Amino acid sequence: MTGVVSYLVFFLTIASILAIAVLGLNLHWGNTGLFNGGIAAFFGMGAYMTIILGGTPQTGQFGGFGLVYPMALVGGICASGLLAWIVGVATLKLRHDYLAIATFGVAVAFESFVRNTEWLTGGAKGLRGFERPLEAMIGDPFVFNLCFFVFVLAVLVVVYFGLGRLIRSPYGRLLRAIREDEDAAQSLGKNPAKVRLASFITGSMILGASGGLYATFYAFVSPDDVLPILTFQIWAMLIVGGAGNNKGALLGAFVIWAAWTASGWVLARVAPVEMQLYTGTMQYILIGLVIVGMLLLRPQGLLPERLVISQSGSGTARRSVQST
Amino acid sequence: MIQALLDGILVGSVVALGAIGLTMIMHLLRFANFSHAELLSIGAYAALVFDGIFAAVLPASKAAVGSLSLTWALFLAIIAAMVLTGLSAIVIDRLVFKRIRETAGPLSMVFASFGVALIIRSGLSLVFGLKTRLYSDDIVFAVTISTNPQLLIKPDQVFVFCAAVLIMLVLHLVLSRTTFGWALRAVAENPALAQVAGVRLSTVVSVTWVVGGALAGAAGVFHALDNQVSPMIGHNFVLAVFAATIVGGIGSVYGAVIGGFLVGIAFGLALVIMPPGYSPAMPFLIILAVLFIRPQGIFGEQR
Amino acid sequence: MLNTGIRTAAMVAAATFVGLAATPGAVQAQSCTVKIGAVLPTSVDWGRPIAKTAQFAVEVANKAGGVNGCKVEMVLRDTQVQAKVGVDAAKSMVALDKVPVILGAVSSGVSMPILTSVTVPAGVMQMSCCSSSTSFTRHAAAGKTKGLWFRTFATSRVQTSMGAMVAKEKGYKKMAIFYKNDDWGQDMVKLVAADLKSVGIEVTATIPINDGQPSYRAEVTKALKNKPDALYLALYPKEGTAVVREWISLGGTKRMVVANSLKSDDFRKGVGFKYLGDVVGTDTSSPRTKSASAFVEAYKARFKKEPNGPGLANSYDATMVVLLAMQAAGKGAGGAAIAAKVAAVTDPNGTPVEANADGFKKASALLKAGKTVSYQGATGAVQFDRNGDVSAPAVVWSFTNTGVKEIRFISLKEVNAFIAKLK
Repeated sequence: MTGVVSYLVFFLTIASILAIAVLGLNLHWGNTGLFNGGIAAFFGMGAYMTIILGGTPQTGQFGGFGLVYPMALVGGICASGLLAWIVGVATLKLRHDYLAIATFGVAVAFESFVRNTEWLTGGAKGLRGFERPLEAMIGDPFVFNLCFFVFVLAVLVVVYFGLGRLIRSPYGRLLRAIREDEDAAQSLGKNPAKVRLASFITGSMILGASGGLYATFYAFVSPDDVLPILTFQIWAMLIVGGAGNNKGALLGAFVIWAAWTASGWVLARVAPVEMQLYTGTMQYILIGLVIVGMLLLRPQGLLPERLVISQSGSGTARRSVQST
Repeated sequence: MIQALLDGILVGSVVALGAIGLTMIMHLLRFANFSHAELLSIGAYAALVFDGIFAAVLPASKAAVGSLSLTWALFLAIIAAMVLTGLSAIVIDRLVFKRIRETAGPLSMVFASFGVALIIRSGLSLVFGLKTRLYSDDIVFAVTISTNPQLLIKPDQVFVFCAAVLIMLVLHLVLSRTTFGWALRAVAENPALAQVAGVRLSTVVSVTWVVGGALAGAAGVFHALDNQVSPMIGHNFVLAVFAATIVGGIGSVYGAVIGGFLVGIAFGLALVIMPPGYSPAMPFLIILAVLFIRPQGIFGEQR
Repeated sequence: MLNTGIRTAAMVAAATFVGLAATPGAVQAQSCTVKIGAVLPTSVDWGRPIAKTAQFAVEVANKAGGVNGCKVEMVLRDTQVQAKVGVDAAKSMVALDKVPVILGAVSSGVSMPILTSVTVPAGVMQMSCCSSSTSFTRHAAAGKTKGLWFRTFATSRVQTSMGAMVAKEKGYKKMAIFYKNDDWGQDMVKLVAADLKSVGIEVTATIPINDGQPSYRAEVTKALKNKPDALYLALYPKEGTAVVREWISLGGTKRMVVANSLKSDDFRKGVGFKYLGDVVGTDTSSPRTKSASAFVEAYKARFKKEPNGPGLANSYDATMVVLLAMQAAGKGAGGAAIAAKVAAVTDPNGTPVEANADGFKKASALLKAGKTVSYQGATGAVQFDRNGDVSAPAVVWSFTNTGVKEIRFISLKEVNAFIAKLK
């Protein structure tokens, strides 16, 4: 039984870290209508910066500043924000399929950069030498995992409720107004470009936090952690859960990560020995089927956005969408 | 430098063929189809199978065509592969995309296309194995066409380029001189008005899938002819094909062609301009540059 | 709508859980089973044969009577070359299947997080056939692996120094290097470039080869520019075939020195033996005893072809050492106890045992009686240093019509002497 609990805590920790990322993406897409195809870059920036700032010194390698953990994590978050500011200023005016490709390109360039700039990022072998916070003090590995899980959950709760308040606040209404009718908002003196940029930066900082926590948990990061498959996984979580909806985002994260891991577990258990070598490829097919199946059966996502009719003006109902 | 340009043009012809179908579908159905590039893999493997069949049934067709590594069997196989890939494209649409189109938005179709791409790629690996194959074991040597500057070109590449250009020319003639071609362009420009004029939308969509699929299948075989047949061909071309579509402007066939060549040249020039190792990032730098200067792409409509 | 969504998800989850819990495990023919875990990239072309060879080693051990009288069952899962997938698979094996040892992974980017977040905290032994990064040596030297980490991957320095030696003997003056742009390749190129320079060979270009590019024409053209006498290749068969075919068709020299990653039938068939006559390769090797060919013979008998391919011999040895150590540690031993017995299995003063079923049987008997053995593996008389690394003698090989043949054997002493001279 303890084995099952130990595994569940581990699984939920990763699912929660990914859920934080999905919330960040929801701010971009669900609330602001920005198609971010480069999640991996912002996630990766948070991960790498956290290890660079908080790691122990390594000979011949830049970084290892050994900052106390909260500072390292905040540093990672700010680095993602900075990257988002640069990328946002450059690309946010693009139409959304173009924005998707441009941000995707940023992610590819980021992966290329960390893979090749060995003196700064460790190159293909990645960055190690990070001491997980309080691990030595706590001693028992299960208790450490439990404490870290509680910490991640706390961050998730803060982000979730923080975003909830943001959406219900005047700023949230401003975001919706710009998403629905940019010209009207502009005529009222609002600056849509600035608002979108702020939203993009905030969402990216949340992605950076997720990346930082990920790197902390594994005490390691490498270019293989910032590949396009990550961007795809986070998007799948948002779509399957219900885009535009924070509750849906959480549900999607847990469902997709559960499907991803369970498919491997099930195949390893039921496949006869001769088929064991093919279970990896079959797992990909299963995952593809789950995603296509979900989209065929329930395309609006598990928890779709609730449509709210706002006050109708002179005979024409104007609809606005309220995310929960 | 000139060699890099030449190589780029040759890679670009393959990218261009793949991008034509993608740009038409993206424009008509308004979704980014990430499974389009997998049609290249399907084409390459289909040709492998047909090549084997033709070579077994007609041993005489095993002879090579001129100084190419291409055999007559493979030549016939390419045509058969194009047909099969076109049909696969439409089957996938009927099974998956059409249903999602009717019940949900474009984003769901994008995601479904990711899922479909995974299934196709993994399916091909299960059936054919993960190891790469070759159409012909012989290595065909390049011909030196100039010694100063040193310029080399392989006969296979010349064939691929000519075949690709020929296909594009035929497409151009169809689009500009036949009734069907006009119908296609009408639907692309204004679907509602085209339907009022009597054009059947569903037929146009079906034909677009078949034609786009066939072109992608050809692109896959042409690529594998000069390289290897592998389940990862589609995955390796996804970004290049999207880049070509974006650069050329979504919805424009001519844009896709020019975009394809530009992306190919970008790959060729990558090593001349950038430090080695960074070459995968090169096409995106080109895209970013184009999007700054002209965000709707070269021939795209102003939004 | 909110409720239906959550209800659907919950029902699916519950059904899956009940279904899985009800699935019986495999019916056991023997009275007991002992499990080991394997986390390997089975969905990648170079990963699947590595997993197959590990399975083969388990078969051989079971044929010899199993471990401590129990049948060995290998729980195999794919890493998809993603850290979080591999780590989750490892955790599930450790927590749910209660394996005391994990074989894996191949990619250093997956092995390292498994080491830091699963195996070391849980006191489970981890043995990798193929993770090449120098980071592991540093990690172990910093005391972070608690003696639980081993790898049968011989340090790259052996390959690169022998490559330089062979290149010098062949009289090459200028060489270009193609290397795979991953942790192994980046490591190799640094070592090879330094070693070649030390023996007086000029390195005209070092070209990284990224995975999955549509064409390597540009890279090949760049290397051709300075007309090197020969190439050094640190590539895997898939991109190696693509690069070499392109190189040869553009008129590049057929003289090459390659690492053991290209000692592969796929590479030989893909390029064609008729173009590979001037290729010379390096590899780590078994000592010159009759038991050296035990693995090759056993493999040929089972699969009807030679074990040529990256990581196969290492994978076999990794699995065998693990199983022998489990035998030595006794029934029900945990990861740390098994790790402690690795020295008893690879004792240079112990009785030498072959890498096949007979050898395994002999070793099991000796280990049960408390004696030590020296496992003569597919990659040599395996011996781990205190960081879990191995050094080995080297062999120089070339291609034949049907496989490879060894040209020369270089003992560990000679290898070390040459390396010392290079400094």
